[in-house]
Amino acid sequence: MSKEHSHGSVGNYILVALILGVITYVEFAIVEYPQAWLGSTWTLVILVVLSIVKFVMVVMFFMHLKGDDRLYTGFFSSGMLIAVLTFIATIAMFILPRAMNYSNAEMVRAQAAGEGAAHAEAGHSAELDPAVADLIATDGRSRTAAEAADTPRPADRSLTIEAPTAPNDASTYQVDTSTPAQPDAIDTQAAAEDAAEAAAAAEEASAPDEAAVDAAAEAEDVDGADATAAATDEPSADEPSADTAAEAADDTASVAWDEAQGQQVFNANCSACHQANGMGIPGAFPPLANHLSEVHEAGGRELLVQTVLFGLQGQIQVEGMTYNGFMPGWAQLDDSTIANALNHVIVNLGDGAPDDFTPYAPGDIAAHRADGLTPAAVHDIRAGLALD
Amino acid sequence: MSAHAAVTTHDAATGGIVTESGFRSTRLPDVKLLMWVFLASDCMFFGSLIGTYLAYHNRSLTGPFPVDVLDIPLTTVSTFVLLMSSFLMVLALHALRNDDIPKFRLWTLGVAVFGSIFLGFQVYEFVHFVNAGLSIHQNLFGTTFFILTGTHGIHVTVGVLWLLSILVASYRRPTSSKDAVYLEIAGLYWHFVDIVWIVIFTVVYLVEFV
Repeated sequence: MSKEHSHGSVGNYILVALILGVITYVEFAIVEYPQAWLGSTWTLVILVVLSIVKFVMVVMFFMHLKGDDRLYTGFFSSGMLIAVLTFIATIAMFILPRAMNYSNAEMVRAQAAGEGAAHAEAGHSAELDPAVADLIATDGRSRTAAEAADTPRPADRSLTIEAPTAPNDASTYQVDTSTPAQPDAIDTQAAAEDAAEAAAAAEEASAPDEAAVDAAAEAEDVDGADATAAATDEPSADEPSADTAAEAADDTASVAWDEAQGQQVFNANCSACHQANGMGIPGAFPPLANHLSEVHEAGGRELLVQTVLFGLQGQIQVEGMTYNGFMPGWAQLDDSTIANALNHVIVNLGDGAPDDFTPYAPGDIAAHRADGLTPAAVHDIRAGLALD
Repeated sequence: MSAHAAVTTHDAATGGIVTESGFRSTRLPDVKLLMWVFLASDCMFFGSLIGTYLAYHNRSLTGPFPVDVLDIPLTTVSTFVLLMSSFLMVLALHALRNDDIPKFRLWTLGVAVFGSIFLGFQVYEFVHFVNAGLSIHQNLFGTTFFILTGTHGIHVTVGVLWLLSILVASYRRPTSSKDAVYLEIAGLYWHFVDIVWIVIFTVVYLVEFV
């Protein structure tokens, strides 16, 4: 049946096995003991070439494709070819939309610089500050290439990582906010959160005014200089942080919110999918800019809070596109953080807030924490709104 | 392992073979051709899985990240074990073709044992990853990694069971070099699983640390 001439000798098999073993050791050595004179590009090339050599040797000598009937080679290489094409197509599906997004970002940048009058109809009015530009540059990746390169190798097993205690434990969704390479912003962010937490604590107290003063004092105690830098923003540029915290603590004065924190939180948690300009990715992640205003006007003020807290799952229509995805809930973020992020999207992204928009206050978020909805239940509530 | 004593005659006009079941022009054992076609389709399967792994590579929002958990020395050893199992596989086939049944049984058992050792490494690795916080739901890396290497692990498991069944069958009925084609196709499958791992080892493990 089989052709005897295609069978190798035991000596040949041993030789092939030896070469395969040596190649595997060389691959291991190249990676484990990197040489400075061998750049990472060449290391990569060598690794790929070595693995192809191993691949071909096994196919030719162990699978006897060399010297066997060419029909086998024909079938197998056709399969390999289609596999490689499938591989390229899969990668391309991810790279092409991102490449288009880059050009979109360029357009927005040009417009912000006043050079893009021809593109005015595109409707992008967002200004690009350095933080957003960095986010676009890193394409929403959790770690920049430089950071990934800096990560120490786990040479021993000393590295311990805490296992999440529960599927929805806050630690599961903790996002590394240091990504956009803006070290200053981290301190600011931390200080802003401290101030916000103090404000939230004050809100729960029965005597708001006194508590607010305490909270403000506490916020200053944490890190006086940084807290001031953090909380002072356009609405209260000349006010010390104490006043901002006090305002946030007071439900009636709900107009003031922390724009800096809103943007920071949005960029850190939301922009990976919805993009830093809030335009989303057509067909994959729905836009938030302008759309949230629509939902708000259609009576969805509560729904927006519920969506952020509990997520959303199911098919929706946004601006003529159909989306069928899943958004996780973000209940692990605290009330003022969520309020600031929502306000950031509605006020600062797209065409801005509707005239009658009252910014969300921490209390608006807290009021829905006990709703206990599932993402699908949020979808049902959304279906009840008169959206197009 | 049934030995089909197929009545075959040569067709002089085409060089093909006429059997009792009809005419075949390929002159090739059906089962072997079938295995190569299956392996071609399996290439596409793994091609899309590896493509998906790379498409989502470096896009996890939360850790553990590949560099945190992947262990090159450990995986190098398991890769070596799998390569050597392929070596034993060709020895087993060689022995069967020379009607050396004891050696055929020894090497076939060796392949199954080495395959099981590889699976043991994989189970150890998976358990370690889960303890380090990398479940299949944890992040994109976890999902794509477990699907890709898990699918490969299932292939290895099927291969081990197949080889063991050949081994058992060799004790239940007479086995000779006439049955070599059945061991050969099992070997083709086994070598294919090996070359898929060669690609995974480079793409998933080695390149991560360059």
